[in-house]
Amino acid sequence: MERSNFTSEIAIFEIPGGVHPEEHKLQSNQAEIRRLPLADELVINLKGQAGNRSLPVVSVGDKVLKGQMIAECDGVFSAYQHAPTSGEVIAIEKRTIAHPSGLDDLCIVIKPDGEDTWAELSPVENLEDLSGKELSGKELSREKILAQIFEKGIVGLGGASFPSHIKLKQKDNIHTLIINAAECEPYITCDDKLLQEHAEEVLKGAEIISKLYHDIKIIVGIEDNKPKAIEALDSARKSLELDSIKLGIVPTKYPSGGEKQLIQLLTGQEVPHGKLPADLGLVMHNVGTCFAIYQAIALGKPLVERLVTLTGEACQEPGNYWIPFGTPVHHLVTATGSTNPKRLIMGGPMMGYELPNDQVGIVKATNCIIMSADGELGMDKTALPCIRCGKCMDACPASLLPQQLYWHAQADEFDKAEEYDLFDCIECGACAYVCPSHIPLVQYYRYAKSTIRNNRIEKSKAEKARERHEARQERLERVKREKAERHRKAAEARKKAAAEAGKKDAKKAAVQAALARVKAKKEAQKATDDNQDGES
Amino acid sequence: MSILSSPFAKKPNSVTQMMLWVVIATLPGLLALLYFFGFGVLFNLVIACSVALITEALILKLRKRPIAPILWDGSAFVTAWLLALALPPLLPWWMTVLGTSFAIVFAKHVYGGLGNNIFNPAMVGYVLLLISFPLEMTTWLPPQELAANPVGFIEAISIIFTGAASDPAIVDSLKQGVDGFTMATPLDHIKTELAQGYRIPEAESAAIVSGLSGVGWQWVNLGFLAGGLVLLFKRIIGWQIPIAVLLGMGLVSLPLFFANSDHYLFPMFHGFAGATMLGAFFIATDPVTASTTPKGRWIFGLGIGVITVLIRTFGGYPDAIAFAVLLMNMTVPMIDYYTKPRVYGHKANKGHGTKKGHDEKTSAIKAKGAN
Repeated sequence: MERSNFTSEIAIFEIPGGVHPEEHKLQSNQAEIRRLPLADELVINLKGQAGNRSLPVVSVGDKVLKGQMIAECDGVFSAYQHAPTSGEVIAIEKRTIAHPSGLDDLCIVIKPDGEDTWAELSPVENLEDLSGKELSGKELSREKILAQIFEKGIVGLGGASFPSHIKLKQKDNIHTLIINAAECEPYITCDDKLLQEHAEEVLKGAEIISKLYHDIKIIVGIEDNKPKAIEALDSARKSLELDSIKLGIVPTKYPSGGEKQLIQLLTGQEVPHGKLPADLGLVMHNVGTCFAIYQAIALGKPLVERLVTLTGEACQEPGNYWIPFGTPVHHLVTATGSTNPKRLIMGGPMMGYELPNDQVGIVKATNCIIMSADGELGMDKTALPCIRCGKCMDACPASLLPQQLYWHAQADEFDKAEEYDLFDCIECGACAYVCPSHIPLVQYYRYAKSTIRNNRIEKSKAEKARERHEARQERLERVKREKAERHRKAAEARKKAAAEAGKKDAKKAAVQAALARVKAKKEAQKATDDNQDGES
Repeated sequence: MSILSSPFAKKPNSVTQMMLWVVIATLPGLLALLYFFGFGVLFNLVIACSVALITEALILKLRKRPIAPILWDGSAFVTAWLLALALPPLLPWWMTVLGTSFAIVFAKHVYGGLGNNIFNPAMVGYVLLLISFPLEMTTWLPPQELAANPVGFIEAISIIFTGAASDPAIVDSLKQGVDGFTMATPLDHIKTELAQGYRIPEAESAAIVSGLSGVGWQWVNLGFLAGGLVLLFKRIIGWQIPIAVLLGMGLVSLPLFFANSDHYLFPMFHGFAGATMLGAFFIATDPVTASTTPKGRWIFGLGIGVITVLIRTFGGYPDAIAFAVLLMNMTVPMIDYYTKPRVYGHKANKGHGTKKGHDEKTSAIKAKGAN
């Protein structure tokens, strides 16, 4: 593929490992961004983000307008959801969701009315007509921006769907905003295309984010296989007069777009184990997120659609499309005139997952749908034993020993796997890609991680249960002890009382005895006297 | 159709393909062996490879494992192939059978099959034969051009299958050079001469010792070096181990040579004599039994180089690649444990010299044996 001649404006550092799979990007980055006709129904997954399921605030039969809030956030990492078009809520029920598990979960189903009527939009401030310089000089309220980002349902569009306002909350010591435009996965071109056609909005979004931190440094990290996007960024930067934005051009290598990897490429620093980029004074956002933030702040638009790459050899009209959330994948297949894709992959070929069926609705994290033809993707043949060749180790961007992790994971030796830093694995799949034995390594790591997490939960539950049990035991003991003590005291008191009562009795008895003796004496005396009297 | 898990991208490597490349890369060395030592090598290859495949299939059947996919991975074939390349060309056929089947059964499947063995199977087979049949295992012919009685195709067959190579009279006649002297391998020759009180320059004056290490042997080693470079270039093997083996040999032989060149061989001689290049590029790099960490590969390779020269110089055997490889194989779990690379975001390697580390070693060995 064509490489950009643009020289990086900042020093680029090396990352270990990495692989160079076939790029397949030309298939989808040639055509202009398009729209497809609306689907017959939109299936909006309420669990479409990192945290808890959103709570529906509409009922079946309600008429909704495009952009109207239909589900509210439940808990910290959850997000608001908005109607992607105007129409009627026809069901709130369990449907298959976009998740590797293929499980059903609660979805709001909307039947579009075809009008696509927007609800009233409420921008923080109308910034649309501002030049870059004016925007740069403008005072904006931090609280208002964060609230708007939250209320407009904006989550990270790079793949993790982490609510953006949380990432933006920490403000101390942040000195650099990194815009992630690396897009290192094969096939996917939505960030590339977004920059080609909307670089100004993306940079304005970045400028708004930087305002949250008193105008920090902005770096755009992008792979050199996107010459047109780099050109677009450069000219947008010039026309917006935002010359302080620097372009960091990194060599094309998977997974350079991983958050930790891009930070290492652009700054030479590693995010310390157990810490966040913010601890290095860095905050990173994907280009799609910057665009969405701009739309929310300047135009008041909630996040109701995203750019999705539709590609693969079975796709007849490959390209990038604005897809309303909830659009079922089968609609994308038919609307692009594609026939019988062999497999449907959501996401890229390295980290994506195969869809269980084509009824699944697009979610905020969906950056790509690959409609693969027969033989297009690597079929996993039977895995052979690990021969310890170490190719995985050479490919690992985190410098792990994937072969050792595999040994321990398959033997259920989870403590050993953790000792080999299992949780530093970013699941990029570079190891499994190069494995000559075709072992699905990432599956083993996911399995080990989830088992360890479950064990931890179980353990903490058991710990709590044990604590409760011990507390109860102790309480019972205490009650018993107290009872015994009470009894002892009562008994003592009784004894004392009895003793004292006894003492009193003795005195009384003594007195009585004495009296009795005196009486007896007297009687005896009397009897004697009587006898004497009688005898006499 | 089952649901696949990521990554879906077409995978660039396969075990079969790697094994195939190993075999291809031995061809230059094999050609040199054929040219200088006759057709015996070919028969050894045929016998060893068929025995290996049959033994592997039988054991897999006994262990109730799928036969076809595992035979097809090529690992048993490569074990036999490398063993046969290391054997003397006129070894009696049943010794080849014994060594190969022992390698497959006891060095590989007893541990759990491919990927689980601690010792390099080819070298286990080789050492078994070497210590059981020292005469036959050191009966290397003089290079054809120096031999008084060059061995032809038919002759090779008859010697291998009638066991004539065990008859001292026949062996003597085979080993006789054109000058009437009995010849051994250059390493063997030097060892004998030194034992008889000769100095290295005197020992080196024999016809069998010339050029880098000796007629024939230098070309065999150059052939394996060329094939090894192909493997490096194709990234079938890592570069650390072969470089480290050669470096390790130099580290010991160079100071010795400078200390006393009458008694100790020039490092270049070590590099191109005996099984050096075959060992450095094809044997020591066996992925299953070598160290897998970047630093560990260095230590593993250096160890093999050092031990090889020490045994060649001070030990009872003329060559020692096999012993050195097996000795270093034993240390691999420990090397791997103490040479973990620093993980992203971590300050330093963990587990250095802790008690936990000790437990880890033993369990690493257990883990290897477990399957």
